[in-house]
Amino acid sequence: MKVGPVLEVFKNLFKKPMTVMFPKEVVEIPDRNRGEHHLDIDKCSSCGSCARICPNNAIEMVEVPPEFAEKYPKTYPQVDLGKCCFCALCEDICPKDAIVLTTNVFLATFDINTTIKPPIIAE
Amino acid sequence: MTSTEKKFDESDFSMFFGPAHPGSGNFSVKVDMRGERVLKATADPGYLHRGFEKLMEYREPMQNAVISDRVCVLEPLQWNLVHAEAVDNLMEYDVPERAKYIRVIMAELSRIQSHFIWYAVMSLGTGFMTGFNVSMGYRDYILDVFNLITGGRVYPAGYLCPGGVRKDFPETAEKKILKLLDKIEYMRKFATKENLAWLARFKDIGVITKEDAIKYGATGPVLRGSGVSADVRRDDPYEVYDQLEFDIPVYDEGDAYHRFRVGMEEIEESMKIIKQAVERLPKGEVKTPNLKPIVQFRKAKGETYVRNELSRGEGTFYMVATGEKTPYRVKIRGPSFSHMIPILERLLTGVDYADVPAIYWSLYQCPADVDR
Repeated sequence: MKVGPVLEVFKNLFKKPMTVMFPKEVVEIPDRNRGEHHLDIDKCSSCGSCARICPNNAIEMVEVPPEFAEKYPKTYPQVDLGKCCFCALCEDICPKDAIVLTTNVFLATFDINTTIKPPIIAE
Repeated sequence: MTSTEKKFDESDFSMFFGPAHPGSGNFSVKVDMRGERVLKATADPGYLHRGFEKLMEYREPMQNAVISDRVCVLEPLQWNLVHAEAVDNLMEYDVPERAKYIRVIMAELSRIQSHFIWYAVMSLGTGFMTGFNVSMGYRDYILDVFNLITGGRVYPAGYLCPGGVRKDFPETAEKKILKLLDKIEYMRKFATKENLAWLARFKDIGVITKEDAIKYGATGPVLRGSGVSADVRRDDPYEVYDQLEFDIPVYDEGDAYHRFRVGMEEIEESMKIIKQAVERLPKGEVKTPNLKPIVQFRKAKGETYVRNELSRGEGTFYMVATGEKTPYRVKIRGPSFSHMIPILERLLTGVDYADVPAIYWSLYQCPADVDR
């Protein structure tokens, strides 16, 4: 009888599992991970480079809601996460580092309207 | 008179293997059968056509680098590299030494994870679920390193971009890559262990002779499994492959089992390459000529043809620039095309139906690069 397979079974009995119990614990997400966008509107100079470089045309330059129009009179990037391929070209091209990709990857949603991220959210 | 001599038989029927079959992967083959025996097989590509060649004519090279990931889902970094080299040639970029080494390391890691998928799908096709689960599990360790370096597990989003690489290695990357090699070695041993069931399913099945392999345009492990020693990394070296030492495994048998053996021995060679490249990794810049993701493509004029050794065979890019912002013409040649249409049709003729998935997966196909 071969002992190799039996030894393998015993080794595996005391090994840590390869998977994690997902909603309770998650695997470590590195800092470079390309996830949801974050726009620092105060840094944004409205140059529109991000909208031009986007390969999927997911970024549109829009005006902010009227209550903020006085403070932010120009147009600002609005990201459609449904179109986005998370390539981070917008992050690389931004001259002011206003738009960055965060590590948030939990973006599943039941409501299609929530995929559009306006530059500023009216309360 | 036996039934095979009759023109029609009551047990004749034709059926589709794919594209919605769980074991076919977006590619379909129509098989005409008599009982359990395949009389004729007709490949039916086109289910996964996304039109990358046309899409690339409407986008700038940096955006195309992002698209080039998607040409083949299973080896995105290597397709990144082919595209980047094509643009480098047209723009006459002088890629920094460090970027060249990073490109080689990433391409070889991509080759290893792709070969793990090969083992996984061959197991899946023949009902060996343990092999599939273990292999995909170990592939995940490689994907974790990709996530650390490129920011994406499967899609690097043009990490190997024209002019170098998009970002330098993070501090921990080299240590993690060397640590990863132990995991890869364990999985390689697991996959190459003598397995009687595995031998029974794959040995002496789907034999391609040396002459046929050359005649029908086979490349990569399929060609090397038939006794031809050909590898672009050695014959027409790109990046820093001419400075690295590695062997090219070749088997003369040409059957499904030996094609697979070539792949598994390539993992060992890739590990050698990675070890050498990490040791020699120089310091310095990783990108030319500027930091922003824009290629001044209007300066480029002329045409280029670049070929690389991907995990499945030879992948090539043909690109024409006429002084516009976007390429005038792009042509992609995926390695799987010649494996999946002439060779597969020929190999499937006259085999038992149970051998269809075994032969199908032993050709190491990727429907994505057949249809592009």
